[in-house]
Formats: sequence, C-alpha cells, structure tokens
Amino acid sequence: MKYAKLLAAGALSVFAVACSQPETGGTDTAAAQTDESRVVNVYSARHYRSDAAIFAAFTEQTGIEVNLIEASGDQLIERVRADGPRSPADVIITVDAARLHRAEEAGLFAQTDFSEFTPDIAGNLVDPQGYWIALAKRARVIAYSNQRVEPGEIETYEDLADPRWDDRICVRESGNAYNQSLLASMVARLGEEEAEAWAAGIVENMARPPQGGDITQIIGVAAGDCDVAITNHYYYALMRNSGEAANRAAAEAVTLFFPNQETSGAHINISGAGIAANAPHPEEARELIAFFLTPEAQRMFAEMTNEIPVVEGVEWENPTLDAMLPFVADDRNVSELGDHNATAQRIFDRVGWQ
Amino acid sequence: MSPAAQGRWLPDRATGLAILAALVCAAPVFAVAWIAVTGETGDYLVHLARTRLPVYLLNSLFVGLIAAGGAGLIGTVLGWLVARTEFPGRTLLSWVLILPLAVPAYVAAYAWLDLSQAGGPLHNATGGLFPTVRGAWGSGLMFALVLYPYVYLLARDTFTGQSADAYHAARTLGAGPFSAFLRTSLPMARPALAAGLALVVMESLADYGTVSYLGAPTLSIGLVRAWSGAGSLVDAARLSLILVAVALLVFGLERAQRSRARSHTASGRHRPAPRFHLPRLQGLAALLACLAPLMLGLVIPLARLGWLALNEQPAPDLLAASWHSLNLATISAVLAAGLGLSTAYALRGRTFIATASARAAGLGYAVPGAVAAVGVIAILSGTQALIDPAWERLTGHVFPILLTGGAAALIFAYLSRFAAAAIGPSEAALARVTPALDGAARTLGATRGETVRRVHWPLIAAGITSAGLLVFVEVLKELPATMILRPFNYDTLAIIAHNYASDERLGEAALPSLLIPLVALLPMIFVARYLSRTRSSSGTA
Repeated sequence: MKYAKLLAAGALSVFAVACSQPETGGTDTAAAQTDESRVVNVYSARHYRSDAAIFAAFTEQTGIEVNLIEASGDQLIERVRADGPRSPADVIITVDAARLHRAEEAGLFAQTDFSEFTPDIAGNLVDPQGYWIALAKRARVIAYSNQRVEPGEIETYEDLADPRWDDRICVRESGNAYNQSLLASMVARLGEEEAEAWAAGIVENMARPPQGGDITQIIGVAAGDCDVAITNHYYYALMRNSGEAANRAAAEAVTLFFPNQETSGAHINISGAGIAANAPHPEEARELIAFFLTPEAQRMFAEMTNEIPVVEGVEWENPTLDAMLPFVADDRNVSELGDHNATAQRIFDRVGWQ
Repeated sequence: MSPAAQGRWLPDRATGLAILAALVCAAPVFAVAWIAVTGETGDYLVHLARTRLPVYLLNSLFVGLIAAGGAGLIGTVLGWLVARTEFPGRTLLSWVLILPLAVPAYVAAYAWLDLSQAGGPLHNATGGLFPTVRGAWGSGLMFALVLYPYVYLLARDTFTGQSADAYHAARTLGAGPFSAFLRTSLPMARPALAAGLALVVMESLADYGTVSYLGAPTLSIGLVRAWSGAGSLVDAARLSLILVAVALLVFGLERAQRSRARSHTASGRHRPAPRFHLPRLQGLAALLACLAPLMLGLVIPLARLGWLALNEQPAPDLLAASWHSLNLATISAVLAAGLGLSTAYALRGRTFIATASARAAGLGYAVPGAVAAVGVIAILSGTQALIDPAWERLTGHVFPILLTGGAAALIFAYLSRFAAAAIGPSEAALARVTPALDGAARTLGATRGETVRRVHWPLIAAGITSAGLLVFVEVLKELPATMILRPFNYDTLAIIAHNYASDERLGEAALPSLLIPLVALLPMIFVARYLSRTRSSSGTA
C-alpha cells in the first residue's frame, strides 16, 4: 500500500512542519525579544475599519508592530484561558462590558492603574478594581416609525412592555450581548423580578420572532413589520450614511430616540480593553491602551464607527453623530452589566425570548 | 484461495492509518466527553431543561428533517435525471449542479433574508406576499439548497455506475421506466443516498451561522450560549454529548441499511444502463427541474451579494485571506482523502478494529466546530503540560507553544471534523471494486501493487477525488473552529465575511462571502469535470 505510506509520510511531515514552525510574528519568547522588533499581541472582538487605521497610526508613531486575532469575546477568553501562562496575549479588547467582566472573573487581566493614561474619563467607565477600561461608548436606544408613532408616545424602556405596544416591537435574539447587557441594566436598576416582568412584556409585544441584527430591526420598522425597534445608536448612523439607497430610506423613515432621559438615562455599553495577566509585552500593551485614549484615536472612533469617545473634550467631525448628542446616559458603573449578565440570560430563557 | 483470504493483504496494511484517522477524529470528542464527565455540576442544565431545551430539540428536529427531505428529493431526482436520461444541457449540468456546494449555508442565508425580509426587494415587489426566509423552515431550506449536491454527487455516480442488468430485467418483466427505477435503481443506490443524507443532516445540526442568523435556535445554538453565557464549558460539553448521540444514531442507521444493501454484481461484465432520450416537452421539464435549485442555491444568492458588493469598497486583506483559505483547505483535503481511503480499505478486512476505527472517526463529524475546537485546545494544552518539563530538561529550551504556534491545531480540528466526510464516499467508491475483480487480476498475474494501481485506482480515483473535494469545500466554509484556533494575523474569507455580516454590514461582507464560492468554484469545476471524464471512459470500456 504505497499510497497509504506516501500519504502517511505526507501527513506526518505537514504536522511536523506546522508544529515546528517558529511562531509567526510576535509570539517570540522573551529571550528572542530585542528592541528593534517591538510587538504587541492583540486579541480583539472589534472588527471595524477604524481599528486598522488606529493600529496603523500606532505602529507609525511607536514602531511597535501589532499582531491581531479577531474573534468573538467569548472565544478569545476561552483561548487565552486555554493557553494559560504561555498565552501570547498582551491586550484583550471586547465590545461588551459583560465580556470584560467574564475575562476578569477568569483571571485573565492584570490590575492596572489606568488613571495614568487619562484623567478625563468618567469613573463609571473604568473597572472599580482596575482590570479594564472603556475605549468607546455605544448607547442601546429605540427607533420608532415616523408614521405610526407620535413623538412623546414612548419615554422609557419600561414603556415598551406596556400592552399598548402589543405586536409592534422588533428586537433581535437574546443570545446577543447587547440585549443581555440591556436587561442586566434593568436588573441592576429595578431588581430581578421587575426586570423579568419587563422582559416578559417585551416578548408579549414582539411583532415577529427575533431575527437578524439591529439593522434588520430598523428596516422592519421602516417596512411596516413593526412600529418600534431596539437598536444600538451607531447602526442607525451607519444606515444614514450607507451606500445603499434602501438603507438610507429606511433610516429616514424612523426616528432614533434616547429613552429614560428624565429618569435613569439611556443604557450605554462599552468597547473596553485590559492588559493580559501573562502578557509577554506589558509595556507595549500599556502604550497601546494609552494610544487608544489619545484624542487622535478617540476621534477615529467618532468619525469612522460613530461610536462615542470616552475621553472628555475630544473633538471630531461627524454631523450624523452630533445630531444624536448630547443625551443623558445611565451613570451606573458598566461593570454592573457583568455582575447581572447570568441573571439576565436566565430571565431570557424563562420568558422565552428566543 | 477464498476471496476473504485474498482480501486480507490490503486492509491489514491500511488498518494502521485507519487507527490514526480514528485517533485524529475522535480525540477531540473524547476530550470534550472527559470535560463533560469530570466537570463540576451546576444548576444551569436543570434550568435549561425547564426552559429552552425542548425548543432547541424541536428546532433541531425540524431543521434536520427539512434539510434531509429537501436535499434528498433534489439530489436523487437530479442525480437520476443526469445519469439516466438525455435532455438539453445535460452534459453541462452534470457538473454545474454540484456547484451550490461551494456556497456556505450562512452566505445563502445572508442573501435570502436580505432579499425577502420586510423592506427587501422580493418583499416589496410582491407586496409582502413572498414569505420572509427565516426560522426552522427557512434554515432547513437553505441547507437543502446548498447541501443537496452531497446527495446528487453520490446518486449520480451510483446511478451511472449501476449495471443495467437489474433495470433491464425489470423492464423485460413489464415495468415502465419509472417503476423500474423505483424498484431496481433506487434500492441499489440506497447506500450512496444514505451516506449523502447523513452528511446533510450532520452538517445542518452542527451549523451555527445559518440558524443564528435566521432565528431557529437549534441545539448547537444552545450549546454556544451555554458556553458563552450563563453556563460553563462543562455545561456546553454535556449538551454536545446529545449531538454526539444523535450523530451516532444517524450514522448507525446509515450503516445498518448499507450492510443490508450490500450486493455484488452477478455478471462479471459491467454494463452501464443506456440513457433514454426524453421527448421535447419532458426534456424541457427536466432542464427546468435542474435549473431551479441552481438558481435558488447559487445564482440568486451570489447575484444579490454581487450587487451589494458593487456598492461597497472592498475590505483590505482580501487577497491574503483568500490565500490562507486556499492553503488550509488544500492541506486538509489531501490529508483527509488519504485517511478516508485508508479507512475504507481497512474496512474491507471487516476486522473489529477497522470497524471500530471507522465508527470512531465518524464521531468527529458529529460535533459542531466550536466543540471540536474546544477539544483540540484541551488536548494540545494537556500535551504541552506533559512535554514542557521533559523537553526543557532534555534540551534546555522551551518547547514551542503548540496551540498558537501555527496552523497545526487548526488542521487537527479540520481533520477531526471532516475526515469522516471522506470515509463515506471512499467506501462507496471502493464498493465498486468487488472481491471478484481482485481475484481476476491476481489470476491474470498482477502483483498486489499492480492490482491496486491498475485495477483499483481507475475505479476509485473519481470517488476519492470527490471525497477530497468535499473536505476542501467544507474547510473553506468552516467558521467556528477557524475563529477559535487560527494563528495571529491569519484571517480567512469565512472569518472576514462573518465578522462583517454579524455586524450587519452586509455590504462589506458581500465580497468575502462571494469569494468563498468563487475560490471553491475553480477547483470544483476542475474536479467535477474530471469526474465526468473518468465516468465516460470507464463507461465505454
């Protein structure tokens, strides 16, 4: 069986090559590390063009190369955990505070004194224990039909559970981190029981089973499937500036509304980062996070992804974003979203939010 | 010499590789099972059983049934039309019909939801009458449309390779062509059809991208949520054992009916059935029947994505991602085809160890990519912990980190997931090499090597190549394991497409989504045509 032997030899050699390959890029061991080849290994759940621009600017200014793995927050966390003390991760970035909390619980972050990086950041956007810091903010808000909903008909998230909205709400599935954090914020504010009643009310009022992402919900409102949708603010901005006429038209048919302005403030979530506990390049990791908080990088968030900068006093040019600002935001520490994430998920299961 | 003794030589030599295949495929599953058994018990599974588990199970059932029913119907009908009848465009269609396999189900779902949702072109054009493609039926339909080639490919090859004897006997006894088909050709093709259907069902159940996008929470969604949410890795591992059990059931059924159907041609002469010419109107109907799934599964989704891509700047690094995808797929395909063929040979020995190896290899196919990846991580980090101290004592150096070091972990996971996909087709191909043929070749003085090269290979080459092709395309489309295990700066097309699409930037996702089928098309066209060539030359011999 020559062929089998040949194939076996081939298989073994491929494995041998793959295994013995020196690690690509920056996973060099400390011994091989020299000043000329400074690198930082980034595990990121963000996958926006702004980040490529920010990394490029960072490399240009510091000479530090950025090695990047992008995946969902949970997958990144699992991988760093599995690699253990040998993990090459330096910086872990997620797009949801609850995922940062998970990474913190798993012991993946090193405590850091973030106050050195910037004094101009609100206290509720930094982990109280110093494991992570916010890089940019997003608000989870309401979009309603210009034709079928009067301004002032909705004022709060709580309103949406009212029977008045029966068969009129579009919202995505509960596996989505943004929905989980929204409900977690309700749990933090109202307690588990009231939050569950609210979630049950939303399920009762859904116009259709959850499908697609936030843009799908906005399109659903524009097309008449439903009258209100829950969405992150930047999706609406993305649609307004879309290359596709249908998306722009849909955005024009709805109004983006920031709820709870008289009460608790609109729910906000964050993109945030922490330095890995076993980071092989902690100094470079600090430099990268500091760079994310410079006016230059903060401005890129505002201009390229319509996210809201976390550093006060930063300037940018983006009329679409400016039209949404300012608004009253929930000023609870975002770490509470992580504290109540498990509770929120169980509520979703109990009320049958798909 | 008895055929059994004659048949010993090859299987004995292939058994070692079959065992290797079994180890590669099953090890991650066992690692996950180990996690499931030894992990700490929380109350999450109880909570789940009380709340969402019934929904997950029902959705899995519906999705699996609709996918299998749809793909079985389309694949069998088209396979038979192409193999047995003559109609306009048949030669071209015979390989073009395989192409929807190049489209990942999640890519078809992106396009169809975009077309049919409220506000989409189809919805608007029909005044809302066109139903939105979503939920269990929508997902099942997507799987049927892009996975039917599994059934079609095996059906077509089997119908073409089938001896005409039984068919003619039935005709002589007064059966009409369709009745003769139902009573002779179809039962004889059952092993191949069952193998194809088993692949379709397992693919559908292991899918994550499609069902999450279309809102049909199946067990694999529950599993990912258990892992990433309120539960734990242990809970996810325990849930995945349900999937493994289902897979064992599906493959068990397939095996059971295959062994019942095992048959060898009575006459030594291999006489393929002639195709009968369809009259004009029926020929047109056959053409339309072939074009319909092609339009729905391939042309319409790709056209929609193409249109979206035109309105968007191409994302950076698409070329590099294509190259990465191509590399990973090629290496995995060649290795998997080798392992599949070896296992198929080993199985001819009918030893316990060979059968056990094949079964164990099938296990890998049962678990979703995310679970396979978790298994690979567990194995590699375990191995690392064992090697590190010993290696350092021996050499004074640190052993390179296994997990993040290169593509090895990824290829391990791919093989674990997909090598089983190569075993079924290899077996089906090898079924054409009857023990009687071996005997004849040896009687005529051929050495064992010559028998393999000159008798076996020409008969099985097509099947083995198509087995490799299946794996190639699978790897190209694979998403969850790739996300978890890929090295630094090593994005593939599937990853870029998913990242954008899951963020609802369908415009930016369109081009990479489009490139997956396009990258798959070239090798696929080559192989599909090669398959057709081998067919006709062996047919006229």
